[in-house]
Amino acid sequence: MTTAVRRRRWLMVGGVLITAVYLLPVYWMLATSLKESSDIFSTPPDLFPSPISLTSYTETVVNHAGIGRGLLNSTVIAVGTTVVTLAVAVPAAYALARLRVRFVALLMLLFLVVQMIPAVNLALPMFVIFSRADLVNSYVGLTLANCSLAIPLAITILRPYFLSVPGEVIEAAKIDGCTTWTAFLRVALPVSVPGLITVAVISFLGAWGEFVFGLALASDEAMQPITVVLAGLTNSFGTRWNDLMAVSVVVALPIIVVFVFLQRYIVGGLTAGATKS
Amino acid sequence: MTTTLNEPGTANRTPPVRAPRRARHWGDHLFVVPAVVFVLATVLYPLVFNIDLSFRDVGVGEIVTGGAEWVGWENYADQLGRDEFWHALVISLLYTGLAVAVAFALGMALAVYFNQRFPGRNIMRSLLLLAWILPTVVSANVWRWMLDGSYGLINTLLEAVGLLDGDLFWLARPVPALFAVVFATAWSFTPFIMILLLAGLQGIPDTLYEAAKIDGAGAWRRFTSVTMPLLKPVNLTALLLCFISTFKTFDTVFLMTRGGPGEATMILPIYAYNEAFEFFRFDTGAVATTLMLVVPLGLSVFYFRSLRREEAA
Repeated sequence: MTTAVRRRRWLMVGGVLITAVYLLPVYWMLATSLKESSDIFSTPPDLFPSPISLTSYTETVVNHAGIGRGLLNSTVIAVGTTVVTLAVAVPAAYALARLRVRFVALLMLLFLVVQMIPAVNLALPMFVIFSRADLVNSYVGLTLANCSLAIPLAITILRPYFLSVPGEVIEAAKIDGCTTWTAFLRVALPVSVPGLITVAVISFLGAWGEFVFGLALASDEAMQPITVVLAGLTNSFGTRWNDLMAVSVVVALPIIVVFVFLQRYIVGGLTAGATKS
Repeated sequence: MTTTLNEPGTANRTPPVRAPRRARHWGDHLFVVPAVVFVLATVLYPLVFNIDLSFRDVGVGEIVTGGAEWVGWENYADQLGRDEFWHALVISLLYTGLAVAVAFALGMALAVYFNQRFPGRNIMRSLLLLAWILPTVVSANVWRWMLDGSYGLINTLLEAVGLLDGDLFWLARPVPALFAVVFATAWSFTPFIMILLLAGLQGIPDTLYEAAKIDGAGAWRRFTSVTMPLLKPVNLTALLLCFISTFKTFDTVFLMTRGGPGEATMILPIYAYNEAFEFFRFDTGAVATTLMLVVPLGLSVFYFRSLRREEAA
């Protein structure tokens, strides 16, 4: 065995250890959620749940009406946000990359600056505006609030994808009889599918994990997203950590599933969205 | 400014095909109009509305009915004269500064480590990002449990290595609480910094390291004399982006301590939120949020500059 090979092997072992230690909180959430109530207070704590108990899931998560309702609300809001964001941001990003539009630099700057604004800054006036428009405690209001930050982010992520579509291809499509609109639909969109998936995933994840708008704009428990429901449970559950961790796992589950299957879209998209304009 | 800011990456190789200026198609603008209208309506209008609120005397009734009286700078004088406001600003800057420092140091260490070639590094890098995309409600709850005084895993580990004797209720004591929220925030942001820095590290040619090695530079010397100087633009961008994002963080601190114990972790976003939604003082809440906006927007100017420099480099 050469030294180079041995070195790489040790580096890999180190990498596994670093990753394991770093993700210890995620493991601890899962492990605690699988423990019985009596086992969470043993000292020193058991690193592995034994016996493995699904009680927190089968009793607490399933039977708590607020959790089901919160999951439903979050699903509606997150899907709504994703659909609206795609519908509004995709044509805009395309035009800003490939069409003859004025003020491109100014608009891109606007979409980037908007992302620097704290959510509280928008939640406060939105509450007043929505109160007067009867949009507090409504899916429409919560979706609009989520879109306010999702659309600018989506445009900054998507524009580089459309810039990488060669202009000659679009010009050729037009010569072949495509209008601006059909060239967009039939030529630009199909080759930008990875970008579209990235934006859809990031919009969905962002809205699913969103907290401030839910807290400020949904005082009615029946309309609260799951993140706000979970925050409320932290008070009422007290030290029922296994139950609380089980709910946390349920909230994190869609994110983890999406992450496992679509992580290459997320990693590329997030860094592109953060650093490119 | 326009060219560097708007034509990143591949765009440099395939410039958009532009018709002569006279041929600007007004129909093309229809693609952008919905997005612009949307941002005007859901971001700029609320911001302006908020500034308007900050100059009025808004009671609970006027939230719904409108028609609050214009009081000029009175609310601003009120806020700027309040110790709680300045306290929140100081805590915010302290919290943000510490969290960014921790996240940057850890992110840099991870980036350098995972920039080395070994099997499985791509999977590990991606896995680390899980900490970043986990909803903050979830991670804040897990940290509350991990930091529990009697049964928390952190205390158990600290006791095992002899750093702690007896129970420490992290979130119930001022200084430990601040460290706790700083650490929880840094945990979420570190993988993001790592990814940004890794992109920068990959741009440094291996030959430079080879040359430094031949000249007898050790690992630390190579880091300080090759890596850091060449990463400078990327570092600056990552630091500014992380500072802006952390400064506006609300969830993590709100869920872990609600600004307590006492006012020990009362950052500006929570202070402003409480003004409006706990005490129903939407006018002074609007003042606090409007003043709060100065920090991220001020820094974003430097951020855009650093982005441009990075792209030019």
